[in-house]
Amino acid sequence: MSHIIILAVLDGVAYGSLVFLVAVGLTLVFGVMRILNVAHGSFYALGAYAAASLGLGLSALGLSPWLSYPLFVVAAAAVGVVVGGALERFLLQRIYRHEEALQLLVTFAVFMILDNAQRLIWGVQPYFYSEPLRLLGNVAVAGITYTAYQVVFLPLVAIAVLLALRLFLRRTLAGAVIVAVTEDREAATAIGINASRVFLLTFVIGTTLASLGGALAAPTTSILPGMGADMIVLSFAVAATAGLGQIEGAAVAALAIGLGRSFAVFFAPELEVLMPYLIMVLVLLVRPEGLFGKATARKI
Amino acid sequence: MSALISARGIAIRFGGVVAADGVSLDVFAGDHLAIIGPNGAGKTTFLNICTGYLKPQGGTVQFKGRDILGSSPRAITRLGIARAFQIPQLFLEQSVRENMLIAAASQARRFAPFARLADIPERGDVEHLLALVDCADVADRKAGELPEGKRKLVDIALALALKPEVLLMDEPTSGVASSEKFTIMDTLVAALRERAVTAVFVEHDMEMVSRYANRVAVWSAGTISRQGPPAEVLNDPEVVRTVIGG
Repeated sequence: MSHIIILAVLDGVAYGSLVFLVAVGLTLVFGVMRILNVAHGSFYALGAYAAASLGLGLSALGLSPWLSYPLFVVAAAAVGVVVGGALERFLLQRIYRHEEALQLLVTFAVFMILDNAQRLIWGVQPYFYSEPLRLLGNVAVAGITYTAYQVVFLPLVAIAVLLALRLFLRRTLAGAVIVAVTEDREAATAIGINASRVFLLTFVIGTTLASLGGALAAPTTSILPGMGADMIVLSFAVAATAGLGQIEGAAVAALAIGLGRSFAVFFAPELEVLMPYLIMVLVLLVRPEGLFGKATARKI
Repeated sequence: MSALISARGIAIRFGGVVAADGVSLDVFAGDHLAIIGPNGAGKTTFLNICTGYLKPQGGTVQFKGRDILGSSPRAITRLGIARAFQIPQLFLEQSVRENMLIAAASQARRFAPFARLADIPERGDVEHLLALVDCADVADRKAGELPEGKRKLVDIALALALKPEVLLMDEPTSGVASSEKFTIMDTLVAALRERAVTAVFVEHDMEMVSRYANRVAVWSAGTISRQGPPAEVLNDPEVVRTVIGG
């Protein structure tokens, strides 16, 4: 019994770390731009494919597999900056002033297009790239053997990203401006802030984080077209549970949802799919503004 | 003397309510112009038009000879017209200093994504402005935690950080305890003088008007019914009857 609990905790922490990376990007984008980007999950998938392709290329060239770790970051940034940047500049910018329904439809269409692009480029056969998982070996936690990659490396990356984001948002000029635009876009524009530039920067950061989540997930899973769909739904649940633009909230919510899901897998498998939403609904019933969100009155 | 802001024939109606019906008004360099008038007469509407938040159905507004109707609030801010609101528009979750640095860096068109907020070159000017409006003591507090009086002053400092030539204010002391009003206005006017900023303020409090304005315009029934020095305008029997009440 206690073995199962420890296993569930380890599973939950490993999964929650990945969910956090994707969800924190989503909540950042939603907080600043108030746009629900359904295509956010595609960046998770693209990140995974890019990382696997680069990693397999590494092996083919006979280079050290340790290079795959920095390559993850390169893959994520490349996808986030190129695809994310192009999406924001050429498409999203045209629809900010339109109603939410249209924004949802457009980003859903982008999701479908990117989904098919994955099939076109990488085919429908799953990709496997588990080299980085094996490199770090295993660790034993209270008698349970688990890969160090999943229970040590992934959580460390998640914590590093959380701390880096906090520093960025609190200590740097661009971070302070992003926080300001999140709180009150009109007031920010009124003092001369270039909201469109802030949007581009935020979107690129958000999609890069989603791609990083995908790149880091690549060694732990089979990479298939459409793998982003699950992730986007989970990220929405995390972002809603956390509260708008709340990065610490996203960390707590991702962990809670990761753990909730893995405990469900072991103790009530029929609830696995439902679990994230149960947690979300429970939190929102008690705190409609989210775990860390603040209820604010709209200014006139 | 040519006007800084020159409005001609402004007409705007909201549904059946006529807020302005051919309003013409000049703001001259160095003015401390008070706009007074009955509630709902359209005084705030005028500020909204001059800052690009509203577009009138007719008329023109020029700033230093340049047509500004149709320009965005952001573009107008860049030209040199800043605005302080009746409800201060500060970023409540951030400290007063952060609020000021964001505004000052934006005015300087600084774009350095990873520059430390504490190190940006506008820091010196920000500290000076905060001292000028007597808010250096609250620089590290969250804007949302400030008492109303301080919040008003920070809002003014924020507007001054945008280096405006003209500052438009909507009832700068509304919501402030009457014991504090004069202190706040004294501080504010001293800051405006130091920065050589022309000011326009919408005001209901006639004591404020007579003490701090050099010119008064009466906005009544969609027109400017009277303008001139406070001593003359405030004693005009017609103004007393329609605006001041008494």
